[in-house]
Amino acid sequence: MYEAQRALASPVRNPRMAVVIGRLLGVAFILCFGTGLYSHFLQEPLAWMRFPTRPAQLYQFTQGTHIVAGIACFPLLLAKLYIVFPDLFQSPPVKSFLHLLERASIALFVGASLVQITIGLLNTYQWYPWPFPFREVHYALGWVLVGLLVLHIGIKLPTITRYWTREADTERGDTEHEATDAAGEVTTDVDAEQTVRRDAAKGEAVRLWGSRRPSGVTGRVIAWIDDTPTAQKPAPTPAVSRRGFLTTVGIACAAVVGLTAGQTFAPLDALNVFGPRKKGVGQQGVPVNRTAEEAKVTASATAAGWVLTLAAGEAERSFSRTELEAMPQTEVELPIACVEGWSQLAVWRGVRLSHLADLVDADPGASFCLISLEERGSFKKTEMGPEYVRDPLTLVALELNGETLDLQHGYPARMIAPGRPGVLQTKWLSRIEAITA
Amino acid sequence: MSSTGTNTAAALPRAADERRMRVARTVLILIGTAGLLFGLYVLFDTVRVNRLPGVALWIGAAIVLHDAVVAPLVFFGGLLLRRAGRRVAGTIVLVVQGAIVVGSIMTLIVVPAFVAQSLTPNNPSILPLDYGRNLSLFWLGVALVATAASALLYARSRRANQRPSSRQS
Repeated sequence: MYEAQRALASPVRNPRMAVVIGRLLGVAFILCFGTGLYSHFLQEPLAWMRFPTRPAQLYQFTQGTHIVAGIACFPLLLAKLYIVFPDLFQSPPVKSFLHLLERASIALFVGASLVQITIGLLNTYQWYPWPFPFREVHYALGWVLVGLLVLHIGIKLPTITRYWTREADTERGDTEHEATDAAGEVTTDVDAEQTVRRDAAKGEAVRLWGSRRPSGVTGRVIAWIDDTPTAQKPAPTPAVSRRGFLTTVGIACAAVVGLTAGQTFAPLDALNVFGPRKKGVGQQGVPVNRTAEEAKVTASATAAGWVLTLAAGEAERSFSRTELEAMPQTEVELPIACVEGWSQLAVWRGVRLSHLADLVDADPGASFCLISLEERGSFKKTEMGPEYVRDPLTLVALELNGETLDLQHGYPARMIAPGRPGVLQTKWLSRIEAITA
Repeated sequence: MSSTGTNTAAALPRAADERRMRVARTVLILIGTAGLLFGLYVLFDTVRVNRLPGVALWIGAAIVLHDAVVAPLVFFGGLLLRRAGRRVAGTIVLVVQGAIVVGSIMTLIVVPAFVAQSLTPNNPSILPLDYGRNLSLFWLGVALVATAASALLYARSRRANQRPSSRQS
């Protein structure tokens, strides 16, 4: 086992690097968890929960962050696993029961993290090749992972605090100017290595040096140092290796984020070559999540007798599309922002929900239940809190971007409200009921 | 080195620090365990029992896939590259390594999009881009940048080699 660890030695595989990458990954995990939790409670609010309706782009921002941070986790997690991989071969494999628990928690942490980001990514592609429900498992694993993250920080706290700041000794090579001053570089690295040897004697930072011997200028200088009787085999520019590693991770993060984030972040739209959605692509310039065919509403939504029914207590009134069109119309510019991370700003026109609520004398504090024509689906029936019902931007939309709402966007009528996930912007509306407490 | 003394002092933290550390670790471990258990409760509460083995299978498979397939591939890939790159400056090996890593991670993320695209033909606004072509172009771009950077480094190391040796020692 020790041999395996030695064989895997590399200048980037050291505790300091594990801390540097680890805290970035930790930040990404916390961002994902926080924004995920927000999205979860928007969709399944507890009775007392109320949400901010401004800024209207709030959900676009939180969910965009969720997906961007999630994608950044791919390079960061792989980098972290690369750094700590030799720990897999620690010897003895298990020292005590507590050590067994620690290793088991790390195994679960690694496995669950990989599954979490993988199913999250594939969900944005609407591809579900796994034998379990996505939403429930993704949510539960979110809690599992945040718990394991805090647990992991607790277990590793001594290492984390020790390597939180760059140490003058072992990291000095990093501040030196690169390769141009090869001799100076190598001198600091040899210094660093001696420090490492001291550390190694204390059982820490054993793996700071690598086994590769570079050629070129640095290699010659090292060879020259090798000839001197006192020096042991010197390190191959670990500072340069570490910089190279961090640069690679940085570029990978920038690439996976920069080339996909345009699906929600408009200024990066031109760079969006790998995002699962593209701004402006879809009927009426707006992407579609669930099609009318998938929802099986093509017949019911185009039926001549369609009416939208509003109910509050005993009062119940139905309106045809023509009647809705005859009511005062409001135009709003709101994004449709999907849980899958894409968003699209659009112009919507229709009747304020608060106006319709007043027509049936609904209690101003009442939540509403929105029911779609869909025959089945998790979002056929959803709830909307009074903060959204009474918001002047919340519409029963009849038009999108200056045209009659396309069937794929919820014709004859759909909800559009500020700061809500797309799945709650109910398409193909059929019935709206005030919920009496 | 001058900082050896500081290092020894740091290695012998005061008793108060040790106690603070112990308290902080205990609190974090307890909170973390609570979060983990709550997550497991949510999992068992919301997912049907017959689906749970699937979750365990995926988590186990992820560990095996990483530890037994991806990590060894990366290790041997790195080894081959080191051997192949012996005659060039270490920085060039790093550039080539970096380019391969960046390209591979992007491939990892984009290939599933490419596969999923063939599975969801009924909604034209999902996965509307030509991911295969874009990925090829991405690799091409990465290769070009890496080649340019390597050429620059090579020229620089040659210039450095031609300097009088007195400046190198």
